[in-house]
Amino acid sequence: MAKTNIIGVYDDEDVLMKAIHFMQKKNIQIKDVLSPIPIHGVFEALKLTTRLPLATFFYGVLGTSLTFAFLYWASVVNYPLKFGGKPLNTLSFIIILFVATIFIGTFLTFMTFFIRQKLYPGKEVQILDPRSTDDKMLIVVDKDEKLSAAEINDIKSAMRESGASEVNEVEEITTKKKFVWKHEKDIH
Amino acid sequence: MYIQKVRGILVEGNKSFGQISRDVIAPLDAKTPLWWYISASLAMGAILFGGWAIYTTITVGIGAWGVNNNVAWGYAIINFVWWIGIGHAGTAFSIFLLLMRQKWRTSINRAAEAMTVVAVVCAGLFPLLHMGRLWNAFFIFPYWNTRGPLWDNFNSPLFWDVVAISTYFMASAVFWYIGMIPDFATIRDTTASKIKKKVYGFFSFGWVGSAKGWLRFETASLLLGGLAAPLVVAVHSIVSMDFATSIMPGWHTTIFPPYFVVGAIFSGFGMVLTLMIIVRKVYKFQEYVTQSHLDAIARILTFISLIMATAYSTELFMAWYGGQEYEMFTFMKNRVTGEYTLAFWTMVTCNALIPQIFWFKKIRKNITIVFIASIFINIGMWFERYVIVVTSLSKDFLPSSWASYSPTAVEIGIFVGTLGIFLFGVLLFFRYIPMIAISEVKGILKKTSK
Repeated sequence: MAKTNIIGVYDDEDVLMKAIHFMQKKNIQIKDVLSPIPIHGVFEALKLTTRLPLATFFYGVLGTSLTFAFLYWASVVNYPLKFGGKPLNTLSFIIILFVATIFIGTFLTFMTFFIRQKLYPGKEVQILDPRSTDDKMLIVVDKDEKLSAAEINDIKSAMRESGASEVNEVEEITTKKKFVWKHEKDIH
Repeated sequence: MYIQKVRGILVEGNKSFGQISRDVIAPLDAKTPLWWYISASLAMGAILFGGWAIYTTITVGIGAWGVNNNVAWGYAIINFVWWIGIGHAGTAFSIFLLLMRQKWRTSINRAAEAMTVVAVVCAGLFPLLHMGRLWNAFFIFPYWNTRGPLWDNFNSPLFWDVVAISTYFMASAVFWYIGMIPDFATIRDTTASKIKKKVYGFFSFGWVGSAKGWLRFETASLLLGGLAAPLVVAVHSIVSMDFATSIMPGWHTTIFPPYFVVGAIFSGFGMVLTLMIIVRKVYKFQEYVTQSHLDAIARILTFISLIMATAYSTELFMAWYGGQEYEMFTFMKNRVTGEYTLAFWTMVTCNALIPQIFWFKKIRKNITIVFIASIFINIGMWFERYVIVVTSLSKDFLPSSWASYSPTAVEIGIFVGTLGIFLFGVLLFFRYIPMIAISEVKGILKKTSK
């Protein structure tokens, strides 16, 4: 069954912030906040965190280790060739290590960002309100089937009270097409 | 913290979020103007000339160039370093100013990053062609081969260059693209055209602007910025080591890495200034690229130009103080005076003297003078590379092997070709990509608008 969202549309980021706190005080579960700009208060209010910096650190360590392993293997083990009397395991590696660490760190970081955020070329998404990437901010609350009509009304009035210029309901379309094996009966 | 008294107003005209989207997207929806076609034809002409020059270089060989046994590095390396220098603008703007939380970067960073990507492509072309046998260019990458296997010389700055510049290109392109994703989503959601909705929708990667998305976006930007900032310093330091690790008089100096890095940022900022003055005029973006922005760039240029002047004088002082006759000859007899004196003094005038006019607020406010000065900086920085490369090589240790250098039509053709590629790339950017980072300008609107 298709899910429905209750959406509060806000015009200003300060009003939005107050609205989030107001709704949280009323124990309303906020599903998501969509906005055309990053708003730092939202991350804190929704207690969102990311482990991306940690991942980048490990990518850096991985990059340095892999590059050093390769340079050492190529110059010392596989084909030891003296250049200008310098030792085979030379300090010049530092420069390549430095840059290659940045290469691997950068590449894997943005790949992680795309994968974790599920962003890819041509991805089709349902846009709850096209103005959310332009000039409006949205607070999205899940319209759970278990909620009574009074509770839904409470959510809507909380949105209006906290300064929402509009309160809408948008049905969520699930675009995922699952591949289903045809049942034997259908084949016959 | 942003103090308005120091930096001035960054977005004028009391804009709303919706107004910003409409203003920035307007040029993409408008009919392609006539000047665009004229400039694009000019660029195509230059590219054709460059194509002919590249064809000649490949079929005839490096003999078609003016380089000789002594001046083995000519236009190719001069233009390579010049373009890489210009390519430093994007990173300097986006990354250094991002890490330092400078709000005035927002109207300019997109154009600066676009410039970086195109400039690095132009730069990369020169070493590739200078190899002579283009079809063997893949030899520069360390790969398992049947010659031993014989690996690259990992001690050589030329190899470091390959690693650094490929990394720089990748990092700049990624940083540029990630920044554009929210803006593509804005176009997708606001345009009335079905085709645009499809195309920009494809490139917006399904961005909706959710809270978690923005958190990851911001974190990724800062991380990529933090990684790329040392890269900027590394890339041009490595380029300088192409020269500094040799024993040529005039090149063999420890000042080269900082001198090159600062010079690169100087030329990059100069080119950004030139480009932004044109953009704000042509697309009427005066309310976004304000007097305060140009003022900030001009101030930075004044400061960097003082560093450049210090570097030039330090080189001369060290040549004298070091007591080495070859160094003394190169600097005093082949740069300050002698055959290449004109190039040397053009460099000093354009890079060290002309930017000093920016000390005066009245001049910083006069866009025409600022524009002309920025062009002089571009020219001056080209001459700096010319002076470094040609003077040292033309007259080195042995007078019997002294030689002069002048470029042939083929070398000039390749240079003109890259100018064409740059112009065409920038024109495509003007036409199809929002020139100002919409979401970032919206982000600073409250604190800095009027």
